[in-house]
This record gives sequence, C-alpha cells and structure tokens, in this order.
Amino acid sequence: MFLALKELQRAKVRFGLLIAAVALLVFLILFQQSLQNGLLTSFVGAIRNQSAEVLVYRTDGRRILQGSVISPDLEAMVRSSGAAAEVARIGQGTFTVTPGEGGDGVPIETSILGYEDPGLGAPTTLVEGRLPEGPGEAVASDADAELGFGVGDTVTVLPGGLDITVVGLARDVQLNVTPTLFVTYDTYVQSVRSRNPDAGEPLPNVLALRAPPDVPADRLVDQVNGLSDELDTLTRADAADKAPGVAQVRQSFQVIFLLYGFVVPLVTGLFFLIITFQKASALTLLRAIGAPARTLLTSLLVQVVVVLGGGLLLGIGLYAALVRGRIGGIPLRFETTAVLVWTALLVAGGLLSSLFSARRVMALDPYAATTGAGVGS
Amino acid sequence: MKLALRELRRRPGRFGAAGLILTLIALLLMFLGGLLDGLIRSSTGAMYALDGDVVVYTASAEDSFLRSRIEPTLRSTVDGVDGVASSAGIGVVQLGARLADKGPRDLLDVVVFGPEAPPLGVDALPGDGEAIADTTLQEQGVQVGTELSVGPARSTLTVVGFVEDTQYLGQAALWTNPETWRTVLTDNRPDQQLGDGVFQALTVRVDDGAVAADVADAIDIATGRSTASLTVVAAAEGLPGVEQQTATFNQIIGVTVGIAVVVVALFFALLTVERASLYGVLKAVGARSGTLFGGLVLQAVVLSAVACVIAGSAAIALDAVIPPGSIPLRISGTRIGQSAVFLLVAAVIGCAFSLRRLLRVDPASAIGSGS
Repeated sequence: MFLALKELQRAKVRFGLLIAAVALLVFLILFQQSLQNGLLTSFVGAIRNQSAEVLVYRTDGRRILQGSVISPDLEAMVRSSGAAAEVARIGQGTFTVTPGEGGDGVPIETSILGYEDPGLGAPTTLVEGRLPEGPGEAVASDADAELGFGVGDTVTVLPGGLDITVVGLARDVQLNVTPTLFVTYDTYVQSVRSRNPDAGEPLPNVLALRAPPDVPADRLVDQVNGLSDELDTLTRADAADKAPGVAQVRQSFQVIFLLYGFVVPLVTGLFFLIITFQKASALTLLRAIGAPARTLLTSLLVQVVVVLGGGLLLGIGLYAALVRGRIGGIPLRFETTAVLVWTALLVAGGLLSSLFSARRVMALDPYAATTGAGVGS
Repeated sequence: MKLALRELRRRPGRFGAAGLILTLIALLLMFLGGLLDGLIRSSTGAMYALDGDVVVYTASAEDSFLRSRIEPTLRSTVDGVDGVASSAGIGVVQLGARLADKGPRDLLDVVVFGPEAPPLGVDALPGDGEAIADTTLQEQGVQVGTELSVGPARSTLTVVGFVEDTQYLGQAALWTNPETWRTVLTDNRPDQQLGDGVFQALTVRVDDGAVAADVADAIDIATGRSTASLTVVAAAEGLPGVEQQTATFNQIIGVTVGIAVVVVALFFALLTVERASLYGVLKAVGARSGTLFGGLVLQAVVLSAVACVIAGSAAIALDAVIPPGSIPLRISGTRIGQSAVFLLVAAVIGCAFSLRRLLRVDPASAIGSGS
C-alpha cells in the first residue's frame, strides 16, 4: 500500500497522463450522453411530454407532426367509431417569430403546437407559470426562456403580427430543435391565419385520443389502425421513439459509446500491464525478501483504483463544469443516471482489465531473484 | 533512425498495446468523421446539386423553401441585377411515396423538386409525370420504370433515371419538371399551392468573374431586402441542424484527438523510462539526443500509420456492413486521410512529452549499468 502510493508520487507524469486520458474519455462519454439525450429531447420532447396517451397521424405524414394532415372524412371516421372516450385536435406548424424582450430581437423559427383539450395535448412538465387559458397565451420550453420566451415575454408571429404572451414554462418540450410554444387550438389557427390570411381553416395535423376506462392504450391503437390504412395510430411513447431520425441518432451514439467504452479499460489495463513488466525485477526482489503476493496485488489494485477514481473525478468535474447551457441550440444538462451507470461500467471494466497485470504479479517466482530475471522474462 | 525501425520490426509485441489503442482511437476518429459526413450529405446533397451559384428566398422565409414565395415581379427585379447571368425557379414538397409491392403503411420519405434547371449530374429535366430519383431509393427497390404513388392524393411519378448524392434533410429527392411538381403540390398540399409563374425560390447563375456572395448582396439591395439571397454553400449550411451537427461533431473529434495525444504521450513516456539505460549507453557512444528523439518520433509515426491503415480498413468494412437507412455513415478517402493526419500530428505532439526525459538521460549512467 505504502509502496503503491509512493510510486504514484514518484512517477507523477506517467500516472498523471493516464489519469488525464481516463478523465478526457470519461468527460467525452458523459458529454455525448448528454448530447444524445438533449438532441432527442429537442427533436421529440414536445411529443413525449404532452398529455395525450394516443396520437393519430395520417399515414402519409410519416410520423412527422407537421407532415400529417387529418382530412375531415378521416376525423369523422375516428370520432364516429366510438373507439376512444375522447377525441381532440392538435395542430402544429413552424412559424417565423420575433422573440420577446429577453431575446435579441432577431426573428427565429418557432414551432407552435395548438391543442383543443388540456387533457389531450397540453404539456405535462410545467415548471413555472400556468397553462394558457385564453387566446394569445402560450407555454414555452424552459430551455428557450433566455431567448425571449420567458414568462411575461410577448412574441410576435410574422408577418401578420399576432402577439402571443408566454404565461408558463415547461421542461423538455421542444420540437425539431426549435423554440416551441404550446397554445390553445384557437391561437394556433390565428397563428396560421396571421402567416397567411388566405389559408382558411387549417386541418388538424393529428388527433389526440383518450382511451375509455379499462381499455389499454395499445388496444386503442390497434382498434383505430383497423379503421383505415390511412391512419397511423401510435402511443405517446411510440410517437416519440418512432419519429424520423430518432432511431438513427440512438444507433449512431450506441456505436460511439461502445468504442469509447472499450478504450478506457484497454488504456488502463495495458498501462498497468506494461508497468508490471517494467517493474518485474523489483517485484520479484520484493517477493524474495518476504513480501506476500497479496500485498503486491493490493498495491496494484490500489493504483488502479486511484487512477480510475482520479480520472472519473476529473472527468465528471469537467463534465459538470462544461455541460451546462446549450450547444447548437440543444440544451444540455448534467445526467446523474449516466454518471452513475458509466462510473460503474468503467470501474468494473478497468478492474477487469487489470486482472492481466494481477495474474502476472501472482505468477512471480521469488526464486527468480537469484537469477536476476523477472516476470517478463 | 535505423535502430528505431529495427526495434519496431524485431519486437512488434512491445508496441502492440499502444498500437491497439491507437487503432481504436483512429477508428473512432474515422467513425465520428464518417458519421458527420453522412449526416451532412444526407441533409445537403440536393442543395449542392442545384445548378446555380446563389439561392434566393423571400426575406421572411428564414431560408426555408416551404415558407418562401417568389412572385414573377420579384424575379424580374432579380434578373435585372448586375452580375446575374440567369435565374431558374425551384419548388419543393416533402411527401410519402408508396410502392405497389409494399405495405399500405410502408412509405418512402421523398422530396419532390421542381426546378427549371436540371440538377448537376442530370442532362435534361424529365417529362410530365416522370422523375429522376436519388440513388438511395434503389436500396428500397426502386428501379427505372417503377411507378411511385406520391402523397395522400397518390400522384403517380414514373422513375426514368437516377442521380447520385441528392438527398435533402435525410430524404431522397425526386427531380421532376416544374409543371409536374406544381401538379403534385396542388394535389397533395392544396394549402401550399402556388399560382402560375410563382416559385418558392430562385437559383441564380452569376456572370463569369462575378463573386457569388457579392451578387447575393446586390440582389437583396435591389429587392429592398424583401429577399434573402445566399450562396449555395451558405444555403446548404443554413439548413436546419447542419451548423449544429458540424460544430458538435468537430468538438468531439477535437477532444478525441486530444485523447490520442495523451495516449501516445503515455505509452512513449513508458517506453522512454524502460529504455533509459539503453539511451545512456547510446549517448555514451556518441548518439545525439536529437537522433534518439527522432527515432522515437519515427516509431510513433509508423505505429500511428499502421493503426490508421487497420482502422481505415475497419471503417470501410463497417460502412459496408451497416444496413442502408440505419446509421448515416459515409466513409470517404478524404475523411480517412484527414483522420490519419490528425492522428499522426497527435503522435508527434504526444512524443514531445518524452523529449525532456530523453534529454535528461546522462551518458555517464552507462558506466556500471548492468540492466
């Protein structure tokens, strides 16, 4: 133990570089974990964190809110089927909006999502203020508060000039990586008309359904899909997870995580294997003068734990310091679960990889000290 | 130098550990770069295929085809600007396309383009009701002669040819003539239909010798800032997500290169410690520190080069086995070469960490050194 710590003190550069490498890798893994979660939330948070259990898209909409248009005959078909306890409209569009005073005044692309029934489409993660209760009111994503979408800010839909006042903020409710406003359906219709006075009555993009008591959401999905091939009905979770691009983002990051996850134990394991070889003669001598193999093994493990612990602490510290804020419009936050999971995985992987060195240490033959040879020979 | 190379050849196992890790890091660099290239090209390919130097949107459209409307009068103003050689209208509509032999909910994501000028790589625009498809649709079973039912109105488009690398926002392009596009738009998106002569945007070719960015500025001034004109490159980079993806991935690649520097530094520091007595002997017999450091750098460069070759092959293999439509990986020679350069530079920088230790080796230590 004493020797292990003494060696750490004496060989600061070597161990320092290893700790730096582990710290950088830990930081990068955690940073990318936040990036992945932030990216997915920015893409589909508004779908995942709204109140409707089941959403009905038009098949041609390809599970894109804005791309789906529910025609009157399809809406009538769903309503008259009696499959759902309640049916309400949701409309969504992308508008050019001048943000409120908190922002820089530069027009910005904004998603506006209108719902008829607060139980079928309103945000469920309100963190400040209240839901809209009348025309010209909205709940915005808390990630966009500093861009001029804070409570009390009034944003203006261009080019018509419709004013919408933010009365509440909700967490993780962005859509398509743009600032997002949840408004009443009437305000949504006014927004469409503000942009294009000739637009007439816009058709809903999706229908939000509430399942009857005792009917699970999955069965409601099957029932509504059975009405027509033109309808693509999904549970809330599926609507978020099966939106275009979500699976691709997940798969891409999984491959990246896998590669980085391999590098950490590999670097640690091979480092200790090399220094075990280098110290072979000294370790053999220690064994020859009576040091038990267990003591040497403990020293090795102490060093592994110190290196991994130091790397993890530095990496997590760096992550905590740099992960706040936004990167390219994507809000990032400290992910406690990711920190715990990756800490466990990397410590386990690091310790596992040090077993190769441990095996070498255990195989030391004290007799070899009389010949000057070590484990490496 | 010869000694360094001979050591690499005679005792490759000594460098195996560092080589393995460098190979993994090289693969990571190539994979990250390939992913970035794949994402960007799948978003912007169609923009780079536009036959023009400048794209003109209406100012309030926020550089989006869907929200832009160019009236004939506005186009006349653009055509009259100094430096504008010609303009061509263009329109876009994103829809789902059905294949006869696929399920009723199994749609292909397509973008129907209706340009007045054919895209790069296409000699002439197709006839009415016909389309030239992006080659990515071949992976979905689309062939020349395939009839696609597009949008809720099931507008029929017959594929008459293919063009490479023209995806738009992750969707495959179908290039039609303006009349066909207008019909498809009107039938499937009646709320977005446009009058005769009205296009969503213009592509402008500038006069020989004119600078595209300057002409773009001149157009916006001439139209009283009712247009937002961008060079094709700026228009492509202005598409949603492109700038963010590029910035994010470049930061990740940068940190990964930093990790490579640290790893190389770590392993060559270990090697230098291991060889300290040997270096003492070499210095005692007249070898200069610079020569010894050169050997170290050479070993790091050779090791990194070997790692890049293995990683490059692995990246190409990965690209081949990843099914189309899953991970948007695009491994190119340029990307492999760029990653290799990054790693080689990282290797040289990493080696520099051992320079101080090497300079401190005292030739006198050779006397009496038994190890």
